[in-house]
Amino acid sequence: MASALHIAELRKSYGKHCVLDGVNFDVPEGSIMGLLGPNGAGKSTLIRSIMGIVEPDAGEVRIGGQPWSRAQARRIGYLPEERGLYKDMKVGEQAVYFAQLKGMDRPDAVRSLKKWFERLEVDGWWNRKVSDISKGMAQKIQFICTVVHGPELLILDEPLSGFDPINARRIIEVIRSLASEGTSILLSTHDMPSVEKLCDHVVLLNQGRVVLRGASDRLREEGWNGLQEVAFRGNDLSFTNALGALAHLDGIEPTTAEGVRKAGIRLRDGVSPSAVLEVLQGQVEVQEFIKVRPTMESLFIRAVEVQEEASESKAS
Amino acid sequence: MKGKLIRTIVLREWRTRVVKRSFLLGTLLTPLLSVGLIAASVLLTQGVDVHNVVLVEDAPGLITRQDAATGQYVPRCPGCFPERENLEYRFVREAPEDSVWKATGHTVLVEYDESVMQNKAGYLVYAKSPGVKAKRNIERDLSRALEHARVLGSTELDWEAYQRLKLDLTLYERESTATGREEGGGDEIRGGIGFMFSAILFVVLAVYGGMIMRSVVEEKSNHVVEVLVATIRPEELLLGKVIGVGAVALTQLMAWAILSTGSFALFQWVFDAGLIGDAGAVSAANEVPADLMTVMAQNKGLAVLLDIQWGVMVAGTVAFFIGGFLLYGSLYAAVGATVQSEQEGQGMVMAIIMPLMFAYIVGSSALGNPTLPIMVWLGWIPLTSPVMMLVRLATGVTWWEALLSWGLLMLTARFILGIAGRMYRLGVLHDGGRSGWKLWVHWIKGDDR
Repeated sequence: MASALHIAELRKSYGKHCVLDGVNFDVPEGSIMGLLGPNGAGKSTLIRSIMGIVEPDAGEVRIGGQPWSRAQARRIGYLPEERGLYKDMKVGEQAVYFAQLKGMDRPDAVRSLKKWFERLEVDGWWNRKVSDISKGMAQKIQFICTVVHGPELLILDEPLSGFDPINARRIIEVIRSLASEGTSILLSTHDMPSVEKLCDHVVLLNQGRVVLRGASDRLREEGWNGLQEVAFRGNDLSFTNALGALAHLDGIEPTTAEGVRKAGIRLRDGVSPSAVLEVLQGQVEVQEFIKVRPTMESLFIRAVEVQEEASESKAS
Repeated sequence: MKGKLIRTIVLREWRTRVVKRSFLLGTLLTPLLSVGLIAASVLLTQGVDVHNVVLVEDAPGLITRQDAATGQYVPRCPGCFPERENLEYRFVREAPEDSVWKATGHTVLVEYDESVMQNKAGYLVYAKSPGVKAKRNIERDLSRALEHARVLGSTELDWEAYQRLKLDLTLYERESTATGREEGGGDEIRGGIGFMFSAILFVVLAVYGGMIMRSVVEEKSNHVVEVLVATIRPEELLLGKVIGVGAVALTQLMAWAILSTGSFALFQWVFDAGLIGDAGAVSAANEVPADLMTVMAQNKGLAVLLDIQWGVMVAGTVAFFIGGFLLYGSLYAAVGATVQSEQEGQGMVMAIIMPLMFAYIVGSSALGNPTLPIMVWLGWIPLTSPVMMLVRLATGVTWWEALLSWGLLMLTARFILGIAGRMYRLGVLHDGGRSGWKLWVHWIKGDDR
């Protein structure tokens, strides 16, 4: 798959402090890539380097296959984490200003903005001053200003912060829709549920280095520790006896209101899920038999811990 | 594209400030008020002076006899009390009670102690001040009359001889140039006019420079700057801001110039048509009804306004404003980028504006001496030339000297713009933490630590 954004060996230090230490990754075209990492991992510096706000010490940034240039960077739709609007300006006038800075002519900007205002249901606010609108409304305007020029690559830093659940869902739908139309998106966030919902790729930074990257499904598959979940109706003892030597039982959750119990099991080597299912069905009523893949959050925590342990042992 | 982006920034800076009720109000009111003040001073000085009837208490030898026809005392030296506009003298042997002289139509009483000839002082008693001009005339007339009395009281002097010996020397100025002698003088007045222009420039640079700083601090605090510098180079953003806010200042200056000229022309038309003012006022020279220019020329204070070489001064102000604003505006922007709040910036602004303030103070104290070495030097140094060169322009300076000074100013402005751009780029995203002069030095060098 072609790369919408290519980062190779990117390095940046402030004095003696190394913030980016040879970062490499690609954002595939049309994908939504989650940029994850604990605070101070170097995410903001990485984004600022891509946008040309910070000049990297070394490395390469290619946008849409082309070497970095300010004109290329200007095409990117960038929504920074710390964002704001001019309080004394009218909403519409301000949105037109930002669209013009992205290279749009005024008539095109007004046309495109009117559509976006309608889509995000803020069309009645065009002539209002920013100081008169709510925080959530201002967030929507900022989002519109980011996408108004139809960028091929979007960099969104915590795009859902400040939104109530209803508006957050609306923004998630818009992000998905943009991706389905071919827009590539790099999404930096600490909100793991939104990563699960949105991102088909992730890159995890820690201490300025990439510690995990790839397609979300593949990473979760690779990170699977063999845990399966069986939902059943019936007696615990019958279930445990039936499981016998085929699998190791991790534990059984209390019965739900519907009388269903959930057990975590790990199959012994050479045992197939269908063999276990066949044995169990004779003893209990099996409702569900699913593979429990790790969450992005658990992958995140594990990867960070592994890297920090490695760094500590190296240091000692 | 670069030009288009800078133009977009310039337009926003300009539009958000000019399309504002407060700006329109300030722009309209200032020229109306200034022309109104000129109009008021013309109208108020025309035939509306208070008529002062001064009752003078006798001092030894001041009055002679009582006129039988009028009942008034006659001064011994009638020539010492010439006919003056709005001033009439009457004399009395002994100063009456206040209620008495007031009741008999007098407005002012002059009385003395017994030792008036020794301590040379008296009292001017009034219910309503006769005004500075009237007081000066009363002092002059009485001094002369008392002088006359003393001379007459002396056995060694006579008044005629004393008058002949007295000498008031007047020096008319002539400037010796390569082409001969030319009429000189008036430097102080011309310097004053130049100083007025430089004062306007100083205020505009300080006020609008502060506006740039506030704008940068605002963009930092409302986090708009991150989006801006992701779109346009910080140096270009800074240039756009300086030009934009500078254009606002120029718009206001131009509007003031046009509105003042228009208002003045209207006032002149109304005045000359006799619709307002004293229709009976006549020119002393030819006894015809006086027009506004004549009235102004006769008034020493207002005549100064007619001496102004408006074209040269306006062009010079605009030229030195452009250079000065590029220079000081970028410094203000750099300060705005390196501080976290407006209050923090105010302290640093004082250091920046100091050279201009120094030129302003030197300019005000050496108005009449435009060729003083310090005036010449400060006119050359780019940090002080925007203020000082306007004083020098008014008092006469060669065209090449003015052009070279402006050229130096523009070159320095370009250089400072580069340094300020670096500071702006690195400082504008700096959000607290370390600060201070060391960090500034790194930023000036372009080192983003």
